[in-house]
Amino acid sequence: MRKTFALATAAVTALGLLTGCSSSDSAETKVLSVAALEGGYGRDMYTQVIEAYQSKHPGLDVQLQISKSIEDEISPNMKAGKFPDVVVLGQGRKAGLTETLIKDKALEDLTPIRDGLKDRLTEGIVGNLNTDPYGDAKTFLMPMYYAPTGLFYNKGLFTKNNWTVPETWDQMWTLAEDAKAKGIALFTYPTAGYLDSYFFSLLAGVGGEQFYTDVMTYQQDVWKTPQAKQALDITTRLLGYAAPTTVGYANEQDFTKNQQSILDDKALFMPNGTWIVGEMKDAPRADGFAWGLTPLPAVTAGTKRYLTTSVESVWIPSAAKNKDAAKDFVTFLYSEEAAAIFAKSNAIQPVKGIASSVPDENKTFFQLYEDPNVAALVGGFASTAPVEGVDIKAVLFDTANSIISGDKTEDQWQAALHDASEKLRQAGK
Amino acid sequence: MSNKPGDGRFVALCLVPALVLFALFMIWPTVNVFRMSLYTWSGFSPDMRFVGLDNFTKLLDDQQFVRAFQNTVALLVVVTVITMGMGLFLAAIMTRQKLRGRDLYRFVLYIPNVLSVVVIAAVFSAIYDQENGLINGTLRALSLDGLQLVWLGDQKVVLWSVAIAMVWQSLGYYMVLYMSSMSSIPEELYEASSLDGASATRQFFDITLPLIWQTLRTTLTFFVMSAVNLSFVLVRAMTGGGPDGSSEVLLSYMYKQAYTNSSYGYGMAIGVVIFMFSFLVSLLVSRATRREPVQF
Repeated sequence: MRKTFALATAAVTALGLLTGCSSSDSAETKVLSVAALEGGYGRDMYTQVIEAYQSKHPGLDVQLQISKSIEDEISPNMKAGKFPDVVVLGQGRKAGLTETLIKDKALEDLTPIRDGLKDRLTEGIVGNLNTDPYGDAKTFLMPMYYAPTGLFYNKGLFTKNNWTVPETWDQMWTLAEDAKAKGIALFTYPTAGYLDSYFFSLLAGVGGEQFYTDVMTYQQDVWKTPQAKQALDITTRLLGYAAPTTVGYANEQDFTKNQQSILDDKALFMPNGTWIVGEMKDAPRADGFAWGLTPLPAVTAGTKRYLTTSVESVWIPSAAKNKDAAKDFVTFLYSEEAAAIFAKSNAIQPVKGIASSVPDENKTFFQLYEDPNVAALVGGFASTAPVEGVDIKAVLFDTANSIISGDKTEDQWQAALHDASEKLRQAGK
Repeated sequence: MSNKPGDGRFVALCLVPALVLFALFMIWPTVNVFRMSLYTWSGFSPDMRFVGLDNFTKLLDDQQFVRAFQNTVALLVVVTVITMGMGLFLAAIMTRQKLRGRDLYRFVLYIPNVLSVVVIAAVFSAIYDQENGLINGTLRALSLDGLQLVWLGDQKVVLWSVAIAMVWQSLGYYMVLYMSSMSSIPEELYEASSLDGASATRQFFDITLPLIWQTLRTTLTFFVMSAVNLSFVLVRAMTGGGPDGSSEVLLSYMYKQAYTNSSYGYGMAIGVVIFMFSFLVSLLVSRATRREPVQF
């Protein structure tokens, strides 16, 4: 009998170990949990910023969780109701965590922080669908770092051939033929998903910012307008000049081979972001190679050209425990002290006077914003309630693969976009 | 040995931990998948809406889902037939013929099975490379340029490229299983039949196959289930479902819907379809291959 009892105790203990994973938070030192995506900027800048913050707030324990797949690490706890207090994670990631919380309206309103920093933030980066996802002038995501994306090319190749970087689409088509004669393709993309650096700017360039917003907010029949048709016409023509290897390499394994074709002078332009410089720094390259970045060409000379600007975000989940401390910490992230630490790692915040802190290799990219004819374009598709089976980004970008290979026609593309946009519009009502 | 009073209780107690774990980590999640498939839920919010069978009706209209389903079925059929056929063939040769270097062959064929899928994807990325990959490079060296294909970029070819990688990965495992089963067949049967003038082919169909039939049935069921899973990991690592969704399989589509598209309930509905489908196929396979066991 005693044996049975001992066994029973052992079994109960074993079960207790399994179920007893819940930790007990001690109430003495206040803990602020920060989760961040470890992007191209590395992790050191976060530890340094947190150290700086903690030295001002003794008694507060800021715990940093940082990873290249931060979603996978924090979402199981979130599903169980344990949310981090501050999350640094932008939209457009595969796991779509930020988007999901936006759709759920599960983010804390950060408008007071934005208003408090009004004189500090640069214009144009805050107050768009990226920061105010519901389009109601309330900020739920603070812009953390920004970087221009656009068409990257080899400056050396242009000098060598006496080519000028095209400023209108007509110049682009002339250049396409010149390059073709030399056996160089006009265009390529790493994977179709990178076309976000291209498409948003194109839509704004073709139809103006209002048209761009209309597309992003799924206005009725927006994909049937002449502007939409023109954007797809231009894209289809451009894809006709794509490097023949593009689609075969446009996957997770091989996308760097498409990027390499720019370094090897096999293709002229590709949509990408400033991280490309660091990403390909060890790759072999043509003689005299230098990275250049240009906004998309204009439809008619002299009209506005756009640089789709990628903005990482910081947000506070509504279910966070220490919201006040979290808000204070987020405000600190925009202090001069923090901005300087971030800038050292190439992470440029949208705060005034930052331009001088941009490291040299990236300076020319950020200088593009100084051209009065060039504007920053931030945002992306507006959030709606999730619509099952409808992913308009996939329709807009991935279809490019089928256009190049000839598996789909431009009309089919337009029809699919219309269909997806209408479904999302109805969900957004 | 007589059963002492209390033995039953002891056995029951010993079983409790395993049963609890099984219920907690197998039964409960499975039941949950079925339950969640009836809801609209993003995956995080407390806001879950019961929608009945709505998710399943939407599936019928979802072209991308239909395509993923077709791809999964195609992979299942093609990969199963090729792997089983080649596995049996190789196993028969290795056990019946006194091949030189047999152990080496077995070792080489088994290696892919212990490699991680990411490594396999990298290996095949090098094999399939359209410019200087193993296949296209060899074809060019043989002046067969016309046969070169964009293995991962051509929408009509990409699924078969994935299929080849799946066969390569699992062939060795099944071959070893069949070999062990074949080597337990008594040698006398083969000796007697060869005295009667039976050829090697005849021996294979009349002695080997009937005697390993039970192993074959079991592995078929295994295979149906593992092919569904393997196709997901390989597709994710090699093609990401592309180009333009042409190599999407059920599990990769489920992942995209449940996570990227924030439609967790819809994803779970796809999960239910996969569950029912694997279950049905396994059942059908098991029924169709039922034979009176032959013993020696």
